[in-house]
This record gives sequence, C-alpha cells and structure tokens, in this order.
Amino acid sequence: MQLLKSYILPRVAQWAVVIFVGVTVTFLIPRFSPVNPVDEMIGRMTAFQTIDPAAVVAMRATMEDLYGLDGSLLEQYLAFWRRLIQFDLGPSFQNFPTPVNEFISAGLPWTVGLLTTTTIISWLLGILVGSLVGYNQHRRWAQALERVVIVVYPTPYLIIALILIFIFAFYWPVFPMTGGAQGTPALTWDYISSILRFGFLPALSIVIGGFAFRFIMAKALSTSEIASDYVQYAELAAVPKRRIVMSYVIRNTMLPHVNDLALSLGAMFEGALIVEVMFGYPGLGSKLFTAISNADYNIIMGIVLLSIVGIATGSLIVDLLYPVFDPRVRLR
Amino acid sequence: MGTIIETNNLRAYYITNAYGVERTVKAVDDITLRIQEGEVYGIAGESGCGKSTLLRVLLNAYDPPLTVVGGEVVYHLDGERVNAAEMTDEQQRDLRWRTISYIPQGSMHVLNPVRRIRDSFHDFISAHRDVTKSESFALTANYLRDLGLPEKVMASYPHQLSGGMRQRVTIALATILWPKLIFADEPTTALDVVVQRGVIQMLKDVQQNEGSTLVLITHDIGVHANLADRIAILYAGKLVEEAATQTILENPRHPYTRFLIESLPSLDSREERLSIPGRPPALDRPPSGCRFHERCPLAKDICKTIEPALIEIAPKHFTACHVVEEELSHASAV
Repeated sequence: MQLLKSYILPRVAQWAVVIFVGVTVTFLIPRFSPVNPVDEMIGRMTAFQTIDPAAVVAMRATMEDLYGLDGSLLEQYLAFWRRLIQFDLGPSFQNFPTPVNEFISAGLPWTVGLLTTTTIISWLLGILVGSLVGYNQHRRWAQALERVVIVVYPTPYLIIALILIFIFAFYWPVFPMTGGAQGTPALTWDYISSILRFGFLPALSIVIGGFAFRFIMAKALSTSEIASDYVQYAELAAVPKRRIVMSYVIRNTMLPHVNDLALSLGAMFEGALIVEVMFGYPGLGSKLFTAISNADYNIIMGIVLLSIVGIATGSLIVDLLYPVFDPRVRLR
Repeated sequence: MGTIIETNNLRAYYITNAYGVERTVKAVDDITLRIQEGEVYGIAGESGCGKSTLLRVLLNAYDPPLTVVGGEVVYHLDGERVNAAEMTDEQQRDLRWRTISYIPQGSMHVLNPVRRIRDSFHDFISAHRDVTKSESFALTANYLRDLGLPEKVMASYPHQLSGGMRQRVTIALATILWPKLIFADEPTTALDVVVQRGVIQMLKDVQQNEGSTLVLITHDIGVHANLADRIAILYAGKLVEEAATQTILENPRHPYTRFLIESLPSLDSREERLSIPGRPPALDRPPSGCRFHERCPLAKDICKTIEPALIEIAPKHFTACHVVEEELSHASAV
C-alpha cells in the first residue's frame, strides 16, 4: 500500500501529465500552421471546375465538422479530447472518408512485429557481445570486432539497407526486394514463411544498426565496470569468468540498457521510417511517410499520438522496474 | 613451524613508457624476507613506500606496468617449494582462497552492489568447491555465526550495511575457505577506532582459530602493536628493519624506525612529537647510498654513496644502517 502510494501513484500521475501535454501540443501545432486543410481541399476540388457557391459553403461546413475544425479553439480542443477518448482519430484527408484508425491498424501489426523482434534481438546481442568485448578488451579478437563495429556504427540505415538490397535482392536474389508478404493472409506455413522471407532484409538492416549502437554502449559501460573494485576482487578470487561477466559486469550495467530497451520499444510506433520506405514495407513508417508528403494531418497526428503514449508508457515501465534492477534505488 | 613464504632479493618495478619517455619506479627493491607458518607478520611504512606493491607481488597478482625484474617469491605448500613465477594459471586459481587469500584495501567497494551478501559468498565458494547454493548458504551462515556476525546480513545488499560491518563481511568472505595464508592490506583504514577494535579482534580470531599465517600491511603502528608477532619496516622500497614486535616498539635501531616509534602518541608524555624532517623520496629516482640519508640526522659520508646491507645486529633483529653497524663494531672492539 505504501509502495503504491509513494512510488507507483506519483509515476502514473507523471505519465498522465506527459500524455496530456503531448496531446495538447499535437493538437495546437497544426492549428498554428498558416495552411488550412479545408481551404486546401476545397481549393484542390475547385481548381479545374466550377462548383455552385452554396454547395461550396455546405461542403466547407461538412468538412470542418468532419475534420473537427468548426467552432472556437477551445471547443475544438474539447471535441478533440472527446473523440480521442473514443479512439476516433477522424478521417484521412487524402483517402477521405477512410478513418485514420483503419490506416493505423493496417500498418501496426507489421511495424510491431518487425520492430519488437529486431529491437529485442539487437538489444540482447549488443549487450552480450559488447560486454564480452569490454571484458576482454586486450584480446585480439575483441579489438578486431570493435573496429568492425565502429565502422558500421556511423553508417546510416539507408546505406546498410541499400547494400543489403544490392547483395541479397539484386545480385544474389535470395530475398524479395519489396513488400511485406505474399499470398492471402492466413495461418498457413506458406503465408508465415513469406512474412519471414519478406521481413528478413528489413529486419537485418535494423538489427545491424541497433546492434552497433548497443554494442558501443555496452562496451563503454563494461569497460568502466571491469575497473571496479568488486570485479577486480572477484577476479582475484578466481570466480569463473562467465559468472563475472553475467553477474558482475552486465548485471551492474543493466540500468541504462533497460532504459534504452523500454524507450526503443515505446518509440516503435513511429515505425522504422527509412527502412520501411526503402523496402516498401507496409508498416506505420511507410504510412507516416506518405501522410507527410500529402499533408494528411489526421494520420500524422494519429501516429504521433500513438508514439507519445508509447514513449510515455515505456518510461513509466522503466521507472517502475528500476528497483528490480538496482536494489540501491529506493522505493520512494 | 617452517617458512610458508619467502622472497629472495625481490625487485619489482613499475615500468612505463609513455610517448617515448621511459620511467621506472623502483617500488620494491631487493627485499628478502621469510614469513613463518602461523605467525602474524606486519609490514609497516609510510604511503608510497612500496607496501601494497610488495603485497601484490607476494600474492602473485600483478599486471604490467608492475614487473618483477629480479629475485623470486617462493611458497612452501605442503612441504613443496613452489616458485610463484612458475605457476600455471590453473595452479594459481586452485591456490586462491583455498590456500592463499586476500583482504583488500578499501573494502567499501569490493562487494557487488547488486548482489545479496549470500550470493557473493556462493560465487566465491563455488569457484573453488563443488557446492550447491544451499550448501554454501549453510556454510556461510555457520561461519558468520562463529565470527559473531548477525545472520541477517546474509540477505542484505552491501549498501544496507555499515562500513564496519561491510569490512567484517569482507574479512569473512576472504577467509570462508580457511586459507593457510592471508594477506590483509590496510584492513582497518577508514574505520573509526571503536569499529577498528572489533575488526582487529576478528582478524585475531580468524588467524588463531585455524593457525593461519597473516601478513598484515598497514601504516598504523598501533594496529601492528595489537596484532603482529614480527614487524618489517619498509622505507622507499627497501626493508630497513625487521624484528619481533616488542623489539621494534621498545628498541628500534634504524633511525627511520626510531622516528616512526617516537612519533607515536603516548599516554604518559605530553611532549610535542617530532616529525621526520624532509619528505619521502620519489621512487623513480631514489637517492644514492642509503635511501634515508637525506632525512637522517646521523648521516655520514658513507651513507651517501654506499647502500647499507641488512645485517643481524641481535638475534632475529635485522637492520640496514651504516651508523648502527659502526657502533656495533666499536662495541665489539672494546
């Protein structure tokens, strides 16, 4: 009870405040933009044809209502919240009147599937290999590996993705170049294996980049850890190396890693924009990219809102898990 | 009671080469000593005199830049002479904790902060014995009870313990497998005197229960007076005097030891204590001759050029000083 009141509740409150502020800012920014999407739309419609002025006025009223742009700013804001609570994000501007929800739920499983797997794989691999290299930093193999990763690390996803496409889809076409899957969605081996086949290259390019980042982080953290008195002492006492790496080095560097994992998983809803666009992957990233190029505010806002909730929830979970990973963090 | 560890003309230098500038710090220079089985051997000296370096070499746990450039460390284990430099890694691992153990300096940070005390004990025990977790927990609980430590520390994390308790837990952790030879590096430093007393008592208990040999390093002559059977005085990487504790305290012969003993506060006298003039020499360019001559009020010409040898001036009382040597030869001439 004390735990709930003094540790959990304040953090949940903080989470709610972050989301509230995030949503408010998301609501305000497009409204401060000089471009009015309704004018844009009507302008586009009336560019090459004349429409009865009365019909235009009626159309404007309907659209303002649909887009949530009628009434004063405060009225709009309240209406915005009312709809949000019902998970109604409005229609897409570009593909009117398809609701934004439909777009997001079409892209979401692809992105979540791709990014959860790749984030967890690159996180585990990065920590394990990075810490091992940090622990064995004077060994030849560790130094060689570190040099390779240092070259890969600053290479943008774009280049990695391009190289992978060239090698594995063009010169040696073992994997498809674009798309998410083949055939009709069903729980058959054919369909599932095609998901894996289509997802392999995008996943690989994300894993390579994410691995490099986490490798460098884990290496730096473990390098300072092995100089600590308790690691030195355990080594002196001939405690097995595997135990030292796992329970002494990695265990003591877990906090930043857990932080990174939760925030990466939270930020997943933005999609892996570049990779998805490069591979024509049907996830949220592609949708976001199309929406941005078409000024489809409702879709952009929908994805941004999802991402705000995701990141805020990610940090809430990290905060709640801190005491599990470090007994020195007091429940207060 | 035989010798358990000896060094012969041991020289250990820190050799660094940064940007083409070679620097050699002669932290341990030509030290020969024999430590007897079952005794408490104290090594005293001021900061930077090479005490901790000597300990690392005795423990055979040193990495570059520290290099043994001459002499040897020999263990006598179960009647066998083992040269420390010739041991394989495996032999070394077998020896640690079971036979030779170490209580570190600054024990505040030697316990893994995210591991419960009992798990740390299990890590250390299972590294050398084939035990299950519950067996090592039982072993630990027994041992802590023998040493008078509360059993609740087992489930604690290091940060939940006081400094003195952490130090005691560390001593228990170092001696859990009843090693024959225990090295302790400043085990009481950074503890207040009340806690120090408890820690000293515990070291005594641990040493006496199994008749282990304790090599105790500290700059605190008071701790030596309480614990040590024999004391070696180190100055600037050299052994300058070695004798039974009482002899060192009551009849020190080397001028440096005399300064050291005279500087101790005493309950009987309220005189101002003299400090040794000058500063300890830098060990990358030690003074010629006797390393103490620059600070020694008795220094003669010979002290500036010729290094005094360690000689036995009385039974089991060794010192390295030209002046003392001369006095003795005069006395025997008369």
